[in-house]
Amino acid sequence: MSAAAGQLSDLGQARVQPACAGAHQSRWSHLLYVAPYLFLYVTLLVYPLFAGFWLSLHKADLFGGRRFVGLENFSRLLQDQVFLGAVGNTFYFILLTVPALAIIGLGLALALNRQTRTAAILRGVFFSSSVLSVTIVTLLWKVVFAPEGGFLANVLEAFGRQPVAFLNDADLALPAIAITTIWWCIGLPMMLFLAALQQVPRELYEAAALDNAGRWKTLWSVTLPSIRRTFALVLIIEVVLQFQLFGQAYLMTQGGPNNASRPMVLFLFEVGFTRWDVGYAVAAGQILFAFIAMAAFAQYLIARRKEAF
Amino acid sequence: MKRAFATLLSCLVLAGCGVQQAPNEIVVQRFFGTCAAQYGDRTDVAAAQGECGIMTTLINKFGAENPDVKVRVSPVAWPGYNQLSAQLAAGDPPDLVTMHLSAIPDYQSRALIEPLGKELRAVGVDPQGFTPASLAGVSIQNEIYGLPIDNWAPLWHVNMNYFRQAGLVKDGKPILPRSPEELLEHARRFKQATGKPYLVQTLAIERASYSRNLYTLLMQQNADIFPEPQRIQLQTPEAKRVLELFRQIYVEDLTTKNLDYAASTNAFINGAGGIFIVGTWLIGDFEAESRRPDRPLSNGYAVVPFPQLYPGRDATYIDGHAWVMPAKERTPQQREAVFRLLRFLADHDYEWSRTGHLPSIQAVIQSERFNALPHRSEIAKLSSTGMTLPSSVQRQYPVQDIIGEEMSAAITGHKPVDAALADAEHRVNDLLFHVL
Repeated sequence: MSAAAGQLSDLGQARVQPACAGAHQSRWSHLLYVAPYLFLYVTLLVYPLFAGFWLSLHKADLFGGRRFVGLENFSRLLQDQVFLGAVGNTFYFILLTVPALAIIGLGLALALNRQTRTAAILRGVFFSSSVLSVTIVTLLWKVVFAPEGGFLANVLEAFGRQPVAFLNDADLALPAIAITTIWWCIGLPMMLFLAALQQVPRELYEAAALDNAGRWKTLWSVTLPSIRRTFALVLIIEVVLQFQLFGQAYLMTQGGPNNASRPMVLFLFEVGFTRWDVGYAVAAGQILFAFIAMAAFAQYLIARRKEAF
Repeated sequence: MKRAFATLLSCLVLAGCGVQQAPNEIVVQRFFGTCAAQYGDRTDVAAAQGECGIMTTLINKFGAENPDVKVRVSPVAWPGYNQLSAQLAAGDPPDLVTMHLSAIPDYQSRALIEPLGKELRAVGVDPQGFTPASLAGVSIQNEIYGLPIDNWAPLWHVNMNYFRQAGLVKDGKPILPRSPEELLEHARRFKQATGKPYLVQTLAIERASYSRNLYTLLMQQNADIFPEPQRIQLQTPEAKRVLELFRQIYVEDLTTKNLDYAASTNAFINGAGGIFIVGTWLIGDFEAESRRPDRPLSNGYAVVPFPQLYPGRDATYIDGHAWVMPAKERTPQQREAVFRLLRFLADHDYEWSRTGHLPSIQAVIQSERFNALPHRSEIAKLSSTGMTLPSSVQRQYPVQDIIGEEMSAAITGHKPVDAALADAEHRVNDLLFHVL
């Protein structure tokens, strides 16, 4: 070892010692940086999570009265035909909305993924419904579905058909709410797909063009594989969102007719706030939480996969 | 230093985020709708029409006559109990709130509202001056828990022009059915003569009106609806008779269908049918409509109590509105202002009765000027035939919702009548059994 090299080595050792000590000290100071977040996270999320579960084991009302009943609330739920109907309605609603939101959102994104003024305006138009409040959206669609003088009633009458009472028909109420929801929520999936499409390397399309790939072949073999993680993300986000259906059902049908459009969140709202049976409502909330957690876990598993966009 | 100043500033900002109530300010929360565009600052109560107009101008007038009191009005969507429950749970209720007489036992049982009797008497409002129905509605365990402002009941609002066309008018009064069979006969005759359905009903996105009809017709059959405060009895021949009657009316297209509350109100005004079954609160609006020329109701509006269809007794389910005072800390000024406002509202009970509701003050119901109001003599008998549910029955609102939902399913054909009654009974009893 040369003298110069020896001096460098000594210098290095001299620098390493304080650095190690500093690293040791900084572990605690780093904790201080995350402490405010940890405090809020524990206070606003972790504690309510466990407090909610504990409350679901009680017969309790809104104003502090409570009595421990173990798992009675859960066994009541499993025998409650209205709750079981609400669970079925929620899953049916997800089936009606999520594939439609994904496919229509993708279609719009593909159609509007261009650098033209018209495309920019149309992107704004299709996203604009998302900024409306649920009150406005449901008011608008109640006018569309109204059997007396509503838009669809007028269209049907113009073709010599009888008006249909969409919101008062047990088979049509939830599909009508689904159509309303798709119209209202289409902006988010469209934007997510647009963001993904704009990240697909141009070279892939150039290579496809060189191979004489047609439009459908390019879509099937280049575009869709490139955005499959976004597709999965959209599906999971929408599943989580649509599990929380409330405002549309509350304002358009109040869960009727005959419990045909009551979702889980409306059930627990009615039980908790109207009947004051808070322990029972929170138990229903725990089951809803379990469903949403499963969807979120699926998102986590897919997000861990590193291939594609 | 800078950091300390920033911390102090942050604390001040956070503290300022809460809505502070001035020592002389009272918060008044009510339903009855919003009409700020029409009645925003108006104080001419006599010129106001409808529930919202009269209530708005009354409170405006109180504010103008009492400049030392600041009244903050918070209108809520009907009936507003979910919001009130959340406010009470959060410890931030208003100072006064409108409440149905049937909802008072829920809040009283949990000590969420204050007894008012002593202080009402102190400001000159004697509860003994309330009508019997109103007094019963606010009395629990010998205490007064609200200032009643009215009683209301489901009524039959009649389009006399169509009734004349159907030959159902005698001596200028509508001929009303005296049995379910006669009701169906009249309805068929009416439809044949006019081409319109006999009844205009709110059957869509609605629960309360179904339950009110059922309660009324069960009371007319002397049925024991609640044998015990925590048990309802609906799987009975009496209840089945009522549901089958309304189902038959629906099947034979003798009623409008698929109309929500707003649509059915407009439908009646626009001549969609003969009888609109709805409460007292629309008398003023329909009377005004009958004075307009070239309208379906022009010179052809009458209103009558629910006719007696069963031989048991002449009875109609009634409820009412009251002002109650949620329990919370108040300054002496606020407390004094609350009772001054209650006294003002009691003094103006006649003005409120112009909405169509029956007054809560006995002296007003017996007064000439009340009886001179249109159609009041026709509905006056409600003060003796009106019946409430027992005040020992809690959760009357969710009970009404459950019954209405199941009745709707049966009448519109989504569920057999027997199944609907069994489900309604099971659901209500489950709810009442689990009340803490």
